[in-house]
Amino acid sequence: MITTEEIRLAQESLRFALDSGADAVRITLTKSTEDIVATLDGAVDKVTRCADRSMNIALFAGGRYGAFSINKLDEATLQDFIIRAIDTVRMLAPDSFRRLPDAARCCKTAINGKEMGIYDDAYASVTPEDRIARALAASVRNGIPGRAGNDGTVSAGNDGTVSAGNDGTASAGNDGIVSEEGEYSDSEYDTYVIDSQGLECRHSETSFDYGVEVTIQDSKGDRYSDYWWTASPFLSGFDAMECGKIAVERARAQVGAKPARSGKYNMVVSTEAASKLVSPLLNALNAYSIQQGNSFLAGTLGQKVFSEGLTIMDEPGRIGESGSKLFDGEGVACFNQPVIEGGVIKRYSVNTYMSGKMQIEPTVEDVLRARVAPWPYEGLDRDKLMGICGNGILVTDFNGGNCNMTTGDFSYGISGQLFRNGVAVRPVSEMLITGNFRDLWQHLIATGSDARKCSTRLVPSLAFEGVDFSG
Amino acid sequence: MKKDSLETFGITLPELRSIVAEGLKGGNWCDLYFEQTVYNDLLLRDGAVASGGFHFDYGCGVRVLAGEKTGYAYSESTDLPSLYAAARAAASISGTPGAVCVTPPSPVPASLYPMAQDWAEVDKKALAAWLEKLEQAIRARESRTLKVIAMLSWSTDEVLMFNSLDQLTSDFRPLGNVTVTCIFADGGKTEQRNVSRSYRCGSEMFDDTLIAELAEEAVCGLDDSFAARRPKGGKMPVVMAAGASGILLHEAMGHAFEADFNRKGQSVFSDRMGRRICPAGINIIDDGTIPSCRGSIRYDDEGVPGQKTYMVRDGVLTSYLHDRISAGFYGVEPTGNGRRESFRYNPIPRMRTTYMENGSDGTLQDLIASVRKGIYVDKFANGEVKIGEGDFTFYVNRGYLIENGRLTMPVKDINIIGNGPRALADIQAVAGDLQIDNGTWTCGKEQSVAVSCGIPSVLIGGLTVGGE
Repeated sequence: MITTEEIRLAQESLRFALDSGADAVRITLTKSTEDIVATLDGAVDKVTRCADRSMNIALFAGGRYGAFSINKLDEATLQDFIIRAIDTVRMLAPDSFRRLPDAARCCKTAINGKEMGIYDDAYASVTPEDRIARALAASVRNGIPGRAGNDGTVSAGNDGTVSAGNDGTASAGNDGIVSEEGEYSDSEYDTYVIDSQGLECRHSETSFDYGVEVTIQDSKGDRYSDYWWTASPFLSGFDAMECGKIAVERARAQVGAKPARSGKYNMVVSTEAASKLVSPLLNALNAYSIQQGNSFLAGTLGQKVFSEGLTIMDEPGRIGESGSKLFDGEGVACFNQPVIEGGVIKRYSVNTYMSGKMQIEPTVEDVLRARVAPWPYEGLDRDKLMGICGNGILVTDFNGGNCNMTTGDFSYGISGQLFRNGVAVRPVSEMLITGNFRDLWQHLIATGSDARKCSTRLVPSLAFEGVDFSG
Repeated sequence: MKKDSLETFGITLPELRSIVAEGLKGGNWCDLYFEQTVYNDLLLRDGAVASGGFHFDYGCGVRVLAGEKTGYAYSESTDLPSLYAAARAAASISGTPGAVCVTPPSPVPASLYPMAQDWAEVDKKALAAWLEKLEQAIRARESRTLKVIAMLSWSTDEVLMFNSLDQLTSDFRPLGNVTVTCIFADGGKTEQRNVSRSYRCGSEMFDDTLIAELAEEAVCGLDDSFAARRPKGGKMPVVMAAGASGILLHEAMGHAFEADFNRKGQSVFSDRMGRRICPAGINIIDDGTIPSCRGSIRYDDEGVPGQKTYMVRDGVLTSYLHDRISAGFYGVEPTGNGRRESFRYNPIPRMRTTYMENGSDGTLQDLIASVRKGIYVDKFANGEVKIGEGDFTFYVNRGYLIENGRLTMPVKDINIIGNGPRALADIQAVAGDLQIDNGTWTCGKEQSVAVSCGIPSVLIGGLTVGGE
């Protein structure tokens, strides 16, 4: 956690910057620690200890602006750094729209950093032995005869499940698994923000995470990989024991995958992949994109652009849930608000600078914690959406692709399952979906209620009609 | 340089040895990676360079290896107590010793980073003026220019490496970048173009020649881009233009040749060493020795000299890309591919500049003329690969349909997907026009590192093209 001495350094740096010629200053001090235990085939492969801190300084001087950061936090170095930073700001072109946010809009309720209830005091009690035990316990190889030994070598067991030769090639055993890489981590993040208008706020959170990637091999020697993960702000709510099993099931579901015939299909996107279809919308609603002519949603505020089924809320104020926060990067207070409601654009993300440039009201600089609301009713999940669609393609993973932000045209690689009468019939891969985001979201059939709470962006499974697939 | 670097980090050789000794309590190998990075940027937006800054990053990473197992910790302070604490944390990996590749002292490689004008003496006002001149050049060439957003950035990275073989290595790595996003408007339509350059050299790179190059590239073929449509999707022959098409090699083959994926049995090429994987005559290389190239490294981040590595010779898989761990595992010399984003990360096998050597199948025009119905692609954005399956994708900003051996309808914003081993085996022609692309390519495998890529024009028999 940020110490009293580090807070004093931040406050002293702010005063020094003002005394040295800055007209206004914002200082953001961040500090984090993270411990990681990685496993390979059920044995510890890597332990990592991370400890970071950084001071970010936004300087406003003579109608000019610059942004600076440094991780060497002793007073003499900081003072020299600030003087050079002010010199740099003075050589830039003036920009009358650069200023601190209106003090009345700034957060006044983040006093001790723990108001959002996502800091677990149990974090401090986790020992290196606990971490290793959690990582090993979550491994799907745990308990399988012939799994990797403590020395990390992979050797054949009595049932021949796993083997590795000196040539380094690993071959699959009866379980079909050639490789399992897991990673347990726990972390603590602390942020302290002050500015020269009197802003002072803090945010602290902890996180416990586990992710695993499994590679399997089929009888033809073809390999298939898949992953799963979980996370929680709280140690008591953290359970990684199913991750490996799910990753194996997902990999096995891909065995024998091949493209389906090109054409238009109904598309169900599973919740773990669905965020990919929401991110471009949120990016296009950011004032930076709009002001630069780089948004396919410019000029749409207040207009109905998408299906009435699309409602995206920004909910940073959900106490006890991952991603919640009381203030944005400028220190502006954040509240639960609709971004898109019933297909109507309700809010752009507008920071102080863009507010001045575009002559529109400021909001917050970004969507902190997006949640896609269920539609047309609560309780739908991936399988039920497939049932509603009848026939189509279930997308469980995206593979590359891009979106042209000026037009909304997109093309993404996908893999998943062809389904008929609501039931998966065979895996598909090496396929592409192609379209335009405005058009895609106008053809929304339904949204589920199955978003994973471990994610900071809550996007459930989604169903669309008439999507172009190429294979 | 060694003496200077020791002073930069306030450390002595006996102290380095003592910290390594602390780390060796947990394994059979220990190395230290000290790094000081100064990053500067200037941003032109709405006709003025009104935003900029600099960022200072400093610290040391300590790695302990117990066989193939890794303990890693870092400190943002290089005082002795902090470094000992990091060494003890890394040593907690403790396990059974195993093979780690040790290399004999090698001759000091020549510098790959020519710096006629040192970044330390750069005139920021002159660089701001250069950005303004660049915008003027683009607007002068194209009246439909709506916005120009240009960022100029440069960094210097001073590193000091020391390991348990008592090998002390240092390097000073400059990197200059310029990225330009242009928005053009024609009637109700808008088009976006991104162009960039990146070189490991001094500030001399920002000259009038580069302005002319970038301006030309930003506007070239713009009429076709406004007219471009989505093609009908499906599997078809693809002719890939020389240069940036090298992303195909990076995604479809390069990652699968990285030895960590193979050591763990995850790569589709894990069991294909020594086998033919593409037609005879094809050579695929990962090269860290091209002067001033973004992907070049005088030493990798384990202190191994940068090298030119043939991964495929005459169509046969001949080498993976190794760090010290995988080299020890396979019993081969490291290839100088142990790279990391910063002192916060342990090194892993990473590409440098990945390219294919020239072929003997004529020119780009010859390749296009040989296709009855297919697609020609010449501008790329990002790519991605699934290591296990070998399925790769890359995104095409610009291209054309090929009909009866001629370029016809312009196309854009399509993804192309294929399978690495099958695509390699399906290379039908390679022209003799190799180009290395000097854009700001960054590879994101676990960590971000600067890379480059290149290729001659090639014809692949069948890839799946996204479309309507």
